[in-house]
Amino acid sequence: MEALKNKVKELLESGGIAGFLGLRNFGSEPFPFLFTRDTAAEIEKITTGAVRYPLSKILIRIAAVYPDATLGIMCRACDERAIIELFKNTKLRSDKVITIGISCTDDLVQACTCEKPHPSNMIAEARPQKTFDRSDVQKIASMTLEQRFDFWTEQLGKCIKCYGCRNICPVCFCDVCTLEDQPLVKRGEIPPELPSFHLTRAYHMAGRCVDCGLCEEACPVDIPLRTLYRRVRESVKELLDYLPGEERDKVPPIQILGDGLFEIRD
Amino acid sequence: MENSSRFEPKIIAFCCNWCSYAGADLAGGMRLKYSANIIPIRVMCSARVSPHFIIRAFQEGADGVLVAGCHIGDCHYLKGNYIAIKRVAILRELIDFLGISKERLRLEWIAGSEGDKYARVADEFTEKVCSLGPSPIKRIPFREKAVAMVG
Repeated sequence: MEALKNKVKELLESGGIAGFLGLRNFGSEPFPFLFTRDTAAEIEKITTGAVRYPLSKILIRIAAVYPDATLGIMCRACDERAIIELFKNTKLRSDKVITIGISCTDDLVQACTCEKPHPSNMIAEARPQKTFDRSDVQKIASMTLEQRFDFWTEQLGKCIKCYGCRNICPVCFCDVCTLEDQPLVKRGEIPPELPSFHLTRAYHMAGRCVDCGLCEEACPVDIPLRTLYRRVRESVKELLDYLPGEERDKVPPIQILGDGLFEIRD
Repeated sequence: MENSSRFEPKIIAFCCNWCSYAGADLAGGMRLKYSANIIPIRVMCSARVSPHFIIRAFQEGADGVLVAGCHIGDCHYLKGNYIAIKRVAILRELIDFLGISKERLRLEWIAGSEGDKYARVADEFTEKVCSLGPSPIKRIPFREKAVAMVG
């Protein structure tokens, strides 16, 4: 925490960054906060917290208002993956964003079971043991088609169409959302059409999902959305050899035409 | 016609204007007999077939969806069919994970001269979808029931 504090202070004072987006304690609760030179005193209350926010998504909005400012951001590994995808989708500029990596706490790592719990540039070197676990995907993949269909019908049938999964998703950045497109999604219908509503969103996660799991955390009715998007992420890896957020230099395959790299497999 | 209770699937075929639709036309011109379950929809390119079209077709009760375009290298718009392959491949995996067999979604390259291929694909695909039975989406109870089922 001290290292983070000092680093942010140093960057703000040297003018390396105009603002730093991190978490600040309000009472005992951490909330996102933009530290600037004017609010430098607040840095004392900076925290890494055991909670996660889609900070990269907040950064898009700030960067849109101040396109010329260099901004710092606290990032966990999932934030880092999201930011890499946002660079590729020109929502953020790589020369205008400075990431300060922090590793997740052990509790968070245990709960999260992600592929890579520590970002590439960390302020304090603490590499938590990764607990990657994809048994959720395997469990559903081992079911028969019929069981799978019933499972998902029951799960997706709980949907109250709050759009929480989309709103919290760090890589959902479109100005116009298909899920609000009247001809495709009828307004005021709960649950939404099964399974097309979720199928559409899942398709849109192809080549984008960074497996942060915020969608599932945000879901008020506990739909195992992360499992669904994980499968999408895996199939993009299997079919197109692209893992979103892991490859800085690779162009997202769905966005390029005619690379000729891909043949249909059965 | 001997057994009228036989399951007759409804299959939507998105045919690209330049090759596959011409192929379908040729199949007709050649007086080939093929399955009447295929309902062709003409699109300008296989890349025009947004995944939303396919999802919508399934949602509205299609038992199978065929996306047909020009052979690789033959695309009227040069590279449209490359994007079609990727889309269909990902969507196949996805619907399979959700419990809708991936066999229900098929991609074929049919050239304007391949009327016989169009007829063969139509027959084969209808046969396949017949063996899979009606689409599970049609099993989903109406919305009111779905709400009641969930509680």
